Amino acid sequence: MSEDRQKTRDGEVEEFAEEQASLWRITLSPLAWAAHFVICYGLVALSCAKGLPVESVRQGLIVFSVVVLALIGWIGWRAWRQWDVRETGDYLNQQGKAEDRHRFLGHAAFLLSIISFIGVVFVSLPLLLLEGCG
Amino acid sequence: MSRDRDQKPVMPRPSGTFPPSEAMLAEPVPDEVQRVQQERLRKAWATPKGWRYWSAVNNSEVGVWYSTTALFFMLAAGVMALLIRLQLAVPENDLIPADRFNQLFTMHGSAMMFLFAVPMFEAISIIILPALLGARDMPFPRLSAFGYWSFLIGGVFVIGSILFDAAPNSGWFMYPPLATKAEGVGSDIWLLGLSFIEIASIAAAVELIVGTLKCRPPGMRVNIMPLYAWYVMVVGGMILFAFPPLIAGDFLFELERSFDWPFFDPERGGDPMLWQHLFWIFGHPEVYIVFLPSIAIAAMIIPTVARRPIVGYSWIVLSAVGTGFLSFGLWVHHMFTTGLPSISLGFFSAASEAVVIPTGIQLFAFLATLMIGRVTMTLPMLWIAGALAVFTMGGLTGVMLAMAPFDFQAHDSYFVVAHLHYTLFGGMIFPVIAGVYYFYPFIRKKKLSERLGRWSFWLIFVGFNVTFLPMHLTGLKGMPRRIYTYPEGIGWDWLNMISTIGAFVIAAGFAVFVWDLFRPKRGQGQVARNPWQAGTLEWSHEIPEEAWGVRSIPHVTSRYPLWDQPQIVERMDAGRYYLPDAEEGKRETLITSVIDAEPLQVQRVTGPAWITHAAAIFTGGTFIFPTFHVYPPAIVCGVLAVACILYWLWTSTARPPEADSKDVGLGLRLPTYASGPASAGWWAMWITMLGDATAFASVIFGFFFYWTARPDFPPDGAAHAEPLLVAIAAGAMAASWALTLWARGANRRGAVSLARGALVAAPLLAGVGGIGLIGSVWTLEPTSHVYPAILWALAIWVVVHTGVGVIMQVYCLAGSIFGKMTPRYDADIWNVSLFWHFHVLSAVVACAVMGFAPGVL
Ligand code: HEM
Ligand SMILES: [Cu+2]
Repeated sequence: MSEDRQKTRDGEVEEFAEEQASLWRITLSPLAWAAHFVICYGLVALSCAKGLPVESVRQGLIVFSVVVLALIGWIGWRAWRQWDVRETGDYLNQQGKAEDRHRFLGHAAFLLSIISFIGVVFVSLPLLLLEGCG
Repeated sequence: MSRDRDQKPVMPRPSGTFPPSEAMLAEPVPDEVQRVQQERLRKAWATPKGWRYWSAVNNSEVGVWYSTTALFFMLAAGVMALLIRLQLAVPENDLIPADRFNQLFTMHGSAMMFLFAVPMFEAISIIILPALLGARDMPFPRLSAFGYWSFLIGGVFVIGSILFDAAPNSGWFMYPPLATKAEGVGSDIWLLGLSFIEIASIAAAVELIVGTLKCRPPGMRVNIMPLYAWYVMVVGGMILFAFPPLIAGDFLFELERSFDWPFFDPERGGDPMLWQHLFWIFGHPEVYIVFLPSIAIAAMIIPTVARRPIVGYSWIVLSAVGTGFLSFGLWVHHMFTTGLPSISLGFFSAASEAVVIPTGIQLFAFLATLMIGRVTMTLPMLWIAGALAVFTMGGLTGVMLAMAPFDFQAHDSYFVVAHLHYTLFGGMIFPVIAGVYYFYPFIRKKKLSERLGRWSFWLIFVGFNVTFLPMHLTGLKGMPRRIYTYPEGIGWDWLNMISTIGAFVIAAGFAVFVWDLFRPKRGQGQVARNPWQAGTLEWSHEIPEEAWGVRSIPHVTSRYPLWDQPQIVERMDAGRYYLPDAEEGKRETLITSVIDAEPLQVQRVTGPAWITHAAAIFTGGTFIFPTFHVYPPAIVCGVLAVACILYWLWTSTARPPEADSKDVGLGLRLPTYASGPASAGWWAMWITMLGDATAFASVIFGFFFYWTARPDFPPDGAAHAEPLLVAIAAGAMAASWALTLWARGANRRGAVSLARGALVAAPLLAGVGGIGLIGSVWTLEPTSHVYPAILWALAIWVVVHTGVGVIMQVYCLAGSIFGKMTPRYDADIWNVSLFWHFHVLSAVVACAVMGFAPGVL
């Protein structure tokens, strides 16, 4: 990465054009975790309070957890592609260039997907291990 | 200059060269030009002299006042802790009566959390953030000043109550029914005084977020901004989502205290658990709101002492963002003993364990940096090392407490007191003091004493462990927290005595530290400009001090510009970079794009003012009078506060500029005005409304919480909101919103009179909506049951916001008539329509809940 790939205003490389949305994009996986968390907590609380069939809610939520995990996995995979470390060999992305910024956001989103994945696994454990409203 | 009603305005866009070439940067600036420019800049940014000094709004002044005030509150809360320890030193002590004791620990906890920990973060950030970003100032200096004066008034009011034996006494989390039923004005002081401060905190958070997003120097893309800025963004975001639920809780709580609306009274359908939820949805993230900024300080100090870039920049960003999210999934671990379903407890226990991962990653990244680098044990580093040691210990006991069965045992015992102080000292006190030692040469242009610094470190470190280590044992031996005395001979005596002695050793350490801060340092001479040889932009500051922030705003291409861009400081000083001049004698800073920091606009920033003081005083009155249940003066104050704020906005924000665009140096020309998403004001509105929407969502949560938790919600045969009026209200609000939006388009097209017409009709419709909504609940009796009470609360919430929306519409109308708002200069109506997007959404949701609830539930 020695040659200067700093873009100029006119010679913008399409791929690295300013990604207005990309700061939000790195929060997609954590948002998926948050949604999963709220739905699990809300549904269990609701069914315990209102006497709904907890057992089927629990099973439904386990399926739901798998879906969320798949979603996060997919987001993570895309982020991995964007980081593209195997191609560039650059783990740090520390230069003030459009390309580095692009890869960095991929890297951050990838790492956040991992942590969100673990988070969802953790939160799903009680669904597997505990039963009933107790 | 064109202030006439120009048809079809052409918006100027940035033009010229960016990024600058090396040849452009190498070109010298003639000495004479430099001198003249300096002269003009100095004049524009001059700090007022004499008594006028207090009208300053510059971030360097406001930040210093802010942090000194927070330090003062901290010391006051520390004195209360000493009194607590004195009382507990020996069994059956009668130094302090029980009620006083309750006031003391409540105030100690509340002041430490609300008047010290959060404001301190904001204060330090206000001081250093602009410098880190090579900006001249924060984007809205008067807002910082307003926030500070509000904080001062509110803080003195809250903490002063202890001198009048009138302080709150139900513990810092104010559980009902204890706190709702408490005699005297203590609870009201807590609720209203702290709500006032929370609002000021949110204002500061909004400003800090906008500062990091929009005021970075050209070229500083998100992947090279200082880690501190990442943390500011994350913590600001957390404040935005954590404080509003508490404010919503305060709102309901105060309605119960003042008007006997039974939100937390089980006999009339209320539920104290709702408060616990709302409080801890705030309270746990609060722990991280306190902790992450300290990590941010460490992330600035560690690369400097290790003399190398931080290891794992992306990993640290990940953990900051990850912690920010996960910390919202923990709140129920404070409620493990309240009898919730076990699966629910499981979720929170699991999330509490998961949050350890990102926290751990940050610590490992720091350790790795230190191990690879060549560390010099400077004073700041000593404090950081102490922080790591203490925090790790607190983390361990935290993991223990996160396991629900252990918590059942240790809950509400001195074990918890020990745990929370280990995390707070390790995660806040030590790093913040490290930061003070590190940044002092930047802030005061003097150095603190090496010898005194080591003394105070060892005193505080040893004293801390002597105080709090034994408390683990005291707790396991069964001593509950919040008791004012205990009988002899159950094995608690000597443990408590040791803790008390330790507390005084801590106090001695603080005395040394504070003396070092404030002792005169005349003989010291000037400090070196970059005494730690750090790599980040704040160390390009000028000595002797200049009020302009930076002489010229640099083009940044590296994470550590002072290390990697060899001539950067020299060129900044020479005015080689952007905005080296103030031709019009006005204060200005650069606005850049969010991701890549491309220069977009030159923003005028506001100068010294007294209107902020008036606004803060009247806002204070609006909150303070109701604590004593006197409402007419409160209403007068409210009206005056609104008037002050309107005057301030009208005279100093989004004014049409003299020229459409201006030359900012290095061959670049930028517009001087922006509206909509390109402007900083629009972002501020967006972010504020996000917080506001969170508060509203919390009230809605309350509604559904009652529905799940209570069999009698709504009670049989209850009267409901009048459906027809609810429908009319929803329709009128939607129409008012549509007209506002339409007015924005019409104005832009140059159809000014049509836009004005719409802006006359819109507030009228909004008024109809507001009246309709109040009418729909008019016959319900809010004191009789929680169901009518919450319908009333929803209606009040929406109607108050409608009032704000109407003022905004009229403000735009006036702007259009008096030439402040034109087809080209239309930032005001962009911001107002943004407000209305949020408002119409919440109005429709509220109407749906009120109107459909009877049928569906
Ligand atoms: C001089 C140092 C300090 C000492 C000796 C000290 C001592 C104590 C003691 C003994 C209690 C328990 C009171 C009781 O349960 O009866 C307590 C509670 C508490 N402390 Fe500290 N503290 C100190 C510093 C701090 C700091 C720096 C913070 C936060 C930044 C803090 C936050 C709290 C909180 C939130 C509580 C709980 C209050 C409540 O129960 O409502 N303390 N402190
Ligand atoms: Cu917690």
